Amino acid sequence: MSTEPEKLAVDMHGITKAWPGVVANDHVDFSVRAGEIHALVGENGAGKSTLMNILYGLVKSDSGEIIVNGKPARINGPRDAIALGIGMVHQHFMLIPVFTVGENIMLGREPVAGPGFYDYTRARKDIDELTKKYGLRLDPDARTGDLPVGLQQRAEIVKVLYRGANLLVLDEPTGVLTPQETVELFGILRDLLKAGKTIIFISHKLKEVLEISDRITVMRRGKVVGHLTTKETNEQEIATMMVGRAVLLRVDKKPAKPGAVAFRVENLTANSDRSVQALRGISFELRQGEILGIAGVEGNGQSELVEVLAGTRRATGGHVLLGDRDVTAANAREERDAGVGHIPEDRRGVGLVLNYSIADNLILGRERASAFSWHGLLLRLDAIRNWAKRLVKEFDIRTPSIETPARALSGGNQQKIIVAREMGTRPRVLLAAQPTRGVDIGAIEFIHRRLVAERDEGTAVLLVSAELDEIRSLSDRIAVMYEGRIVSVEPADTDEARLGLLMTGGGTGAKTGAA
Amino acid sequence: MGSRPGPRLPRALRRVAGGFAVPLGSVIFAFIVGALLVAVTGGDPFQAYSGLLCGGLGIACANGENSALQISTTIVYFTPLIMAGVAVALPFRAGLFNIGAEGQFLAGAVACTFIGVKFSNLPAPILLPLVLLGGILAGAIWAGIPGVLKATVGAHEVVTTIMLNYVAQWLIRYLIVGGPLQLPHGFSVSSPIGAGARLPSFLPNDNSLIIFGLPAGVYRVHTGLLIAIAALAVFAILLWRTSLGYEIRAVGQSQRAARYAGISVPRTIIVTMLISGAFAGLAGAIQIAGVDHNLTDKYFNDTTGFEAIAVALLGLGSAVGILLASILFGALHAGGAVMQQDAGISSSLVQVLQALILFSIAANFLRVLRFPAFGRRPSAPSPTAPAAALMTEAAKAPPEETQT
Repeated sequence: MSTEPEKLAVDMHGITKAWPGVVANDHVDFSVRAGEIHALVGENGAGKSTLMNILYGLVKSDSGEIIVNGKPARINGPRDAIALGIGMVHQHFMLIPVFTVGENIMLGREPVAGPGFYDYTRARKDIDELTKKYGLRLDPDARTGDLPVGLQQRAEIVKVLYRGANLLVLDEPTGVLTPQETVELFGILRDLLKAGKTIIFISHKLKEVLEISDRITVMRRGKVVGHLTTKETNEQEIATMMVGRAVLLRVDKKPAKPGAVAFRVENLTANSDRSVQALRGISFELRQGEILGIAGVEGNGQSELVEVLAGTRRATGGHVLLGDRDVTAANAREERDAGVGHIPEDRRGVGLVLNYSIADNLILGRERASAFSWHGLLLRLDAIRNWAKRLVKEFDIRTPSIETPARALSGGNQQKIIVAREMGTRPRVLLAAQPTRGVDIGAIEFIHRRLVAERDEGTAVLLVSAELDEIRSLSDRIAVMYEGRIVSVEPADTDEARLGLLMTGGGTGAKTGAA
Repeated sequence: MGSRPGPRLPRALRRVAGGFAVPLGSVIFAFIVGALLVAVTGGDPFQAYSGLLCGGLGIACANGENSALQISTTIVYFTPLIMAGVAVALPFRAGLFNIGAEGQFLAGAVACTFIGVKFSNLPAPILLPLVLLGGILAGAIWAGIPGVLKATVGAHEVVTTIMLNYVAQWLIRYLIVGGPLQLPHGFSVSSPIGAGARLPSFLPNDNSLIIFGLPAGVYRVHTGLLIAIAALAVFAILLWRTSLGYEIRAVGQSQRAARYAGISVPRTIIVTMLISGAFAGLAGAIQIAGVDHNLTDKYFNDTTGFEAIAVALLGLGSAVGILLASILFGALHAGGAVMQQDAGISSSLVQVLQALILFSIAANFLRVLRFPAFGRRPSAPSPTAPAAALMTEAAKAPPEETQT
């Protein structure tokens, strides 16, 4: 890095933005040096996105000033931001799937050959130049929707570069990537840095932040709580700053004591929503008192597997045995009654009725159970209330009351409702799909602890997660799924590189554990 | 009520106030536009509305109308509206838009008449429950057909219920114009139902008894009102106190969450429609058993089931709301005649007012009333889905392939 007096690409001063009821940014000072990768970290709701949306002109701040490249800037919309050389790569790509990569990159700035005519040759030449300059391999004629996520992201980056960005803001860019794709992305970011670009990297994955960034700004509850130099800090320090107290990053767990087989899955097949075969013959055993982790790049059948086991998707073949009972064709109600808890991956769409109160959500699926209902007819309101009070306390759901609609809670507390409901009934088997996705560190810590506690009490836990770290720290065994099959079952201490290889279809053959 | 967020009303009160703001605003909006219409066309809005007030609620009668009689008339009008309103509101909660309350209402009326005529000799303790049950059953079948179609092949209930409205309307025409129920010798009316099939009035049909200055026999308020109130209570209990109600609401809020919970979405849709039709059918039966005692040609142009849609929307699908909205619509109905008589304003203004109320609710442009005045977060979604949201929800594409 340069040692000359620091030149700031962006200098934001005293930025304040209040939404009714919450101050998203409270006198935030944020500065990024030209030519650095600056990480902006913080939990959900800490105000990172608001700050970046202010910088990009999507949100107007109540007060504060923004200085870009030494000059005070007035940013009233993305157009102003783009004119100042600021580009944003959103977490959810702003690409049209049926367009080609080239069309997507040009979108809004199409070169024209005469009125109303799109200049294909120019577009292609421009993209070629751009991708060569930064060493980004990308086929401009590919249909965007057919590309893997990593390449779509690359298209998004090229799009931003095409619009002349010198400062790139990447919002949680690795959230959707495989380990390999992440490595590639980091390579690209370093190349961009060499080409003189400045990068703001928003993330909550501390390992990545430590790997890629030069400096770090930590936010908590709308305020900046720390400016750090990456070389001089560590994971624990950042985590403590983010949460405001010391956090346990490692999961403390004793060796598992696996018991009887709870779930026996034999040669299971099932289709996806689009009637494509998603499970191509899955077999495994899940024992009481163990956590079996399912690792895999999203979309390789994990979701379908959990849904079949939970009774919300029909199997097209094979068998599922719960104990010695065949539950292959059981529906969700029967599975639940048989002692299968299910934390679904889509918390807001599936796991909760958002407009229902917390109390109502805590009996979802059990509204006819004798504990909460008189002969399946009248609800036992008192029992429901007591149950809710108990679980809210036991699972530390932070809410003003049990009558508060689930919608009003934070992601972490919403997830705790589901976790409480599914664990509260002491299931024999717990299917946990992405149990900590998008929740804050405090809640992650809590949910991890509960999963291990559940295991220690003899529950069989099937853990599906896109976070390799989570899989590796919690699982007793790791099954890797690829294209609808379990390609390998690995011990818990398998290194990340090998898992990454298996997840992308390589590395099978050697070292296959017994399923 | 403070307009600044500072002075906070109690939570419950704020919720109630916030909940009533939109319907109340819609009604006020309708009356203001209605007044303008009257004024522009050369009438006197004050005179018009005082006529409505007198005719509807028996208040401020200037031309010798009998207040008690006006109130009685209003009650007679709103009694079936309550039950038909429930028949629309319940499916709303399940995310279904029942436009067919009219058809179900007529089916109930037909069944009641049919049984009441065919078994006219049975004594009241047997015949009265029989005609009411007949109405309930007929309404349930009429609504159950769209329910089954929706649940099995995904046919949109809006289309199927509307079509069944036509079937019911023409069926009545067939039955009493040259059909099997027609009273012999000419008129487009059915034979009257037996005495045992009639709901008793609150007041004895005795013209020597003078009540509020008129013979008791002219007040047509009947015991169907008690049934309507009971129906409202059943509706509220069903929705909020039973496992089934929980499931109905869950299906309406999120079919995916319902499926995850193990609730059978098709089954819930069918059951909801059956129950809803039962309410509408009961309304039809009560209209025959309590008021008309036979099917007449006025049923060709009946609009109870359509007004019920407005009632359910204006009442935001809640029991109390339905009651209040029914009273309003019943009063408008009864008031129209007095307005026409006293102020010389066509009673069609009543339809205009109803349409304006419905319009402003459907357009949802009064949404702004919800928060600023009550210190609520604008971005926070309202706890009860506003009517327009219910409608959008209901008008959505048919559910994905259903799975048990």
